[in-house]
Amino acid sequence: MTASNEYAKVGEFKPMDLLAAAAAREVRDGDVVFAGTGLPMLAITLAQNEHAPNAACIYEAGSIDGRPIDLPTSVGDARCAYQAAKAGGLFETFYGQLHAGYVDLGFLGGAEIDKYGSLNTTYVGTHANPKQRFTGSGGNADILSFARRTVLIMVQEKRRFSERLEYVTSPGWMVRNWPNPEYVPKKEVYGKYCYGGPTACITDMAIFRFDENGIMYLDTVHPGFSAEDVKKNVDFDLDISRCRGETLPPTYKQLEILYNVVDPEGIFLP
Amino acid sequence: MGSIKQLSLQEAVALIQDGDCLAFSGFTIWRRPTAMCYEILRQGKKNLHLFEVQGGFHSEVLVGGGAVRLWEGSWMGQEILGKTGVNLSRKQVAGEVIVDDLSHGHAVGRIMAGAVNIPFFPTALAMGTDILNPEYDGFAKAGLRTGAYPKIPKEKYVKYKDPFYDMGELLLMPAIKPDWGLVYAPMVGDEGTVRVLAQSYNDADVIKACDKVIVIAEEIVPDEYLRRDPTANIATGYEIDYVVVCPWAAHPTGSQYYYDTDADFLRNFNATTRTQDGFDKFAEEWIYGVKDHWEYLEKLGVKRLETLRASQATGYSSRVKRGTR
Repeated sequence: MTASNEYAKVGEFKPMDLLAAAAAREVRDGDVVFAGTGLPMLAITLAQNEHAPNAACIYEAGSIDGRPIDLPTSVGDARCAYQAAKAGGLFETFYGQLHAGYVDLGFLGGAEIDKYGSLNTTYVGTHANPKQRFTGSGGNADILSFARRTVLIMVQEKRRFSERLEYVTSPGWMVRNWPNPEYVPKKEVYGKYCYGGPTACITDMAIFRFDENGIMYLDTVHPGFSAEDVKKNVDFDLDISRCRGETLPPTYKQLEILYNVVDPEGIFLP
Repeated sequence: MGSIKQLSLQEAVALIQDGDCLAFSGFTIWRRPTAMCYEILRQGKKNLHLFEVQGGFHSEVLVGGGAVRLWEGSWMGQEILGKTGVNLSRKQVAGEVIVDDLSHGHAVGRIMAGAVNIPFFPTALAMGTDILNPEYDGFAKAGLRTGAYPKIPKEKYVKYKDPFYDMGELLLMPAIKPDWGLVYAPMVGDEGTVRVLAQSYNDADVIKACDKVIVIAEEIVPDEYLRRDPTANIATGYEIDYVVVCPWAAHPTGSQYYYDTDADFLRNFNATTRTQDGFDKFAEEWIYGVKDHWEYLEKLGVKRLETLRASQATGYSSRVKRGTR
């Protein structure tokens, strides 16, 4: 690698590059990461090529710590399993890895998010009259419930940052212990199985984190956006008092890795 | 020495009755028994109950074609090739398919319990979510949890306090034992041993959980060959019931070491079948308008199929253009 660790200037990177770099910074060396298709794949692969060479990646279809030489486009892809330590199935990933307590970090997205970091990936509308169905949980609910830390990747829109989710697919820091409809801390429901929860949310405008009460606050804004811009695109009362300033741009070295090593085919980085 | 009972695609599908509960091999857009699903529509099956750890192209086809009444599973879509299952979405909104949502962990536990013949599977995954909201229990709301339906448990789940190690409250998820397992495998031995060539997904569990299993394979190979490496096999011959041989049977989903997913086909399916009219046009062109699977393959053409053919070194195609560079 010849490129430097200096930060690229505005205009020298695309929005997707900044998101990939920001998501990669959430990966710690040695983490066991449960990742999905798209931006999470870019982030974990970038991190492995830079500051986290000992991070291991699990893809839910069954590959454990693969070393893909070509970027996968699906978590069931043979590319995920190339040089994997082992390849099994979903019982291995969801029970042998996740329920067993090995997973440090998850990456997830959703159609809607609330201030506790709960996600909706199921439908909008009511149960009797759904307006639009999305994918459903897949592993979303499982990963958010059991990973020690989870990074949520969202599009910043007022209707997506909701005061109240139409369907809670995946549990944030406050949940309902059905059949009781009251919100209670996650710990009360999960007990000894409460390993953690959502720790960051990365959008196209900002990065959010969660305070000691499990409530989302604004941490940094991406270059070109203000805290007020972000607040206008959130439906709940957002705490912006702890905003630290601007999100760090990608470094030249990160850009070189992203375009030459991680995604040279231009699958997720056009 | 074991043996296999080989059927034609048409004969195998004719065994499935209206209203039966089906489960499938594969994962999203990989190793799905697509040719069997096309034939299910050609034979006009109705009111099927699908249990899916997660759905994909094969079940979007069954749902879009009006063969499905009940769908339970955790997910429906084509991954990045079409982010939601547009046919299930349309049918759920229209009230034509009754949907009951699970998480992956819940569905995996249920099929595993069915596979090993235990009535339930304990799990702490996905607690505190609307998946467990009694008001959102689709099958209960439809009056199906009465005990009168053998493939539908009387409760969606039960909470149970660990009596052994004080781990607190967990969920007990009911086993599922579908009527039919429709399983795509690249290779089946002449004594019925089944091999897959990559991640095993839930295929072995589906084979054991289902009352009857039809394996649709690219080819039958000598069992002697598969038995040189028993660790690579997922099922023994006595766990399966029927074998259908059908090359490219998983297209447009992928089969590692045989062919890649047909991304253009899947993307186009997702983009054009949002409406019923769009689905009907797709089905007329690719399902009802071809007389059998061979005509389907001829319509796809040699160039398309050869582009998808997987490298024997990596298990996937090096000829597919995947990105913009």
